[in-house]
Amino acid sequence: MILLRLAWRNVWRHRRRTILLVLVVAYSAFATIFYWGFLDGFTASVITAQARFVGAPVLVTTTAYHDDPDPENALPDLSFVTALQDDRRVRAVALRLEFPALIRSAYTSESVIVRGVDPTAEAGVSVVPSHIAHGRWLQRPGELVLGKGLAARIDVRVGERAVVDTAGKDGPRAAGLVLVGLVDTGSVAVDDRAALVHLDDARALTGAEVTAVALDVARGEEDRTAAALRPLLPPGIASFGPLEMLGAIRQDIEGNRIGAIPIILLFAIVAAAAVTSTSVVSVIERTRELGMISAVGLAPARLARVVVLESIITSLIGWVLGLAAGYGTLAVMARVNVLGKAFASYGRAFSALPLTEEIYAVIHPVYALYASVTVLIAALFAILIPARRVRRMAPAQAMRME
Amino acid sequence: MTWLAVLTTLTLAAAPTDAHAVLRAIEDNHRGGTGTGTITLTVARPDRRTEYVMTVWSDGEDRGLVRVTAPARDAGQAFLKVGDNLWVYAPRLKRTLRLPPSGRSESFLGSDISYSDLSGRDVEQDYTARITSADGRTVVLELIPRPGAPTPYGRLTVTADAQSYAPLEWTFYDQRGQAVKRVTFSEHTKVGARSFPTRTVVEDLLRPGYRTTAVYSNYRFGVKLPEACFTLAALERGCE
Repeated sequence: MILLRLAWRNVWRHRRRTILLVLVVAYSAFATIFYWGFLDGFTASVITAQARFVGAPVLVTTTAYHDDPDPENALPDLSFVTALQDDRRVRAVALRLEFPALIRSAYTSESVIVRGVDPTAEAGVSVVPSHIAHGRWLQRPGELVLGKGLAARIDVRVGERAVVDTAGKDGPRAAGLVLVGLVDTGSVAVDDRAALVHLDDARALTGAEVTAVALDVARGEEDRTAAALRPLLPPGIASFGPLEMLGAIRQDIEGNRIGAIPIILLFAIVAAAAVTSTSVVSVIERTRELGMISAVGLAPARLARVVVLESIITSLIGWVLGLAAGYGTLAVMARVNVLGKAFASYGRAFSALPLTEEIYAVIHPVYALYASVTVLIAALFAILIPARRVRRMAPAQAMRME
Repeated sequence: MTWLAVLTTLTLAAAPTDAHAVLRAIEDNHRGGTGTGTITLTVARPDRRTEYVMTVWSDGEDRGLVRVTAPARDAGQAFLKVGDNLWVYAPRLKRTLRLPPSGRSESFLGSDISYSDLSGRDVEQDYTARITSADGRTVVLELIPRPGAPTPYGRLTVTADAQSYAPLEWTFYDQRGQAVKRVTFSEHTKVGARSFPTRTVVEDLLRPGYRTTAVYSNYRFGVKLPEACFTLAALERGCE
C-alpha cells in the first residue's frame, strides 16, 4: 500500500508528462475499441444485407442447388415445408424460383439472375418489397420489378415492357413483362442486379417449381437457426444461414478479423513503448532521488516495484479514459448511421459484397479486454526495462549522479 | 427479328384481305420452301467496314444452317437454328456451343443483329396488326405487341408492295415512340409468282453509321435438302 501511495505521488509530481502518457494510452484503447466496434458493425451489416436484402435469413434448398444454382437442381418436393411452418423458430415462409436469364429492352440487354417470388409471402422474409423507390411491388403475373441500377443500364422505365429470355426445361422461353417498380435499397448487390418476377411467370419460363424456400427467423439467430432446422429436412436438402450463403465473402470477412489482430497489437505495443520510454527517462532523471530513497532503507527490489506501479497507474488511467471515449463513440455510432454514408462508395467499388448504406457500430464488453492489452504490455515493458535498471542501481553511486 | 427469317428461309406469298391476312402474306414471303444460297454480309461502322460471305441452307420452316466462308480468319464458323435453339461452331476451338440466354445479347458477327434476333418468333403470334395506309403501290401495317409478348418494342410499322406483298421496310419503335431500328428490303427477284428481296439493310437508328447489309446470290429455291443439314454434325462439315 505504501508503495502504491508512493507511486501515485510520483505520477502526479510530473503532471504534464503523465497527462501526455495518459493520452497516448487512452488513444490506443480508444482506437482498439473503435476498430473492433466498427469491424463487427461492418460484418453485421454485411450479414444483415445478405439475410434481409440479397438472400434470406435462412434459405432451404437442395445441397446440389447450393453448390450449383441451376433450376435443374430445384427442390424435388415441398412436403417438408409444413414442418417448417409449424416450427416456432420460423416466423415466415416464402417459395422462390431463381434462374439465369437475359433481360432485354429495345436498346440493350443484360444477363441477370431472375428471382420468381410469391409477392405476398416474399414481404415476410425480405425487406426488398418495402424498398420500392418508384412504382409498386409485384401484385400479379406479367409484372417485373428491377433494381434501379439495372433498370437504368438497360434503359427501361416503369410502365414499359422488358423481355426475359431463359433456357427452360423444354427449350428457350421468353416473356414480355411490364416493369411495375424500381428497388432502391442502398445495397449495390440488390440495386444493380435485382430482377423479380411473379412465381407463376418463373415457373412458366423455366418449367421448374421451386429452387429454394426462404425463412424469416429472429435477427442475430439466422445461422444458429439454420443449423438447428437441418434435422427437420429430408436427405439432400439443407438449410443455410447468411454466413454460409456468403461463400467466399465469408472467408474474406473472417480473414479481415484475423488480419486486424496484428494491427491492434501494434497499436498496443506503440502505446506501451511510449509509456516505457517515458518511464526510463523519468528513472534516469530521478537517479539521485531514487538513490537517496534506497539509501534510507527502501530495498532496490521494492523501489523497482514503485516504478512498475507508476507505469501501471498511468496506463490504467489512460485505459479507463480510452474506454469511456471508445464506448461513448460507439454508442453514438450504434444509433446514428455515420459509417454507412462514409462507406457508400466502398459498396459500389466492391459490388460483390452485400452492403447497404446503413452501417451501425456494434458494442461489446470484450472490447475492453482487447484494449487492456496496452496496459499489460506497458507493465511488462516496465518490469523488463526501467524496473530492472532500478534493481541494479547502487545507492551510493546513484546519489553522486548529477 | 424478322430479317433473319429472311436470311434463313426463302419463300412465297398469298392473297390477303385484312391486316392479319396482309401480315401473313408478308410473312409467307419469308418462309415456305426449302432453299440454299450465298449471303454477303457487310457490317459498316463509322470507322470501318467488314464483309463476310456465308452459305445458307433453310428448310423454309424453323430450321436453318449458316456457314461463314470468308474472310479467311472467320471461315468455318457456323450457326445452326432448330426451332428456338441456336448452336454456334467455333473452328478454332473445334467445339460446338449451345447459346445460353446470356450469350444471346452478343452481336452476330459484330453486325447490328444479335443472336436473340436470330431466334425470332412468329410476328403474328406477338403482334396485332392494322392497316394504316394503302394505296395502289404500297400497304403499311402497324403492329402493336400483344400483352405479354416477348418483344421490347412499342410498335412496328411494316411497308410492303401492295401487289405482291413483298416486304419493303420494317421500322421498330421503342415504347416511347422513337424509331430505333429500320430494316429495308430491295432488289426483289421473281421466284415463281412472287417477289423475293435479295438485298436487306439493317440500320441502327440510334447510332449513325451503324448499318448491316445482306445481299443474296446464287440462290436456288425448292431444292430438297437432306435432314443431315440441320444436325450438329453439319455445323462442322457443312451441308453440300
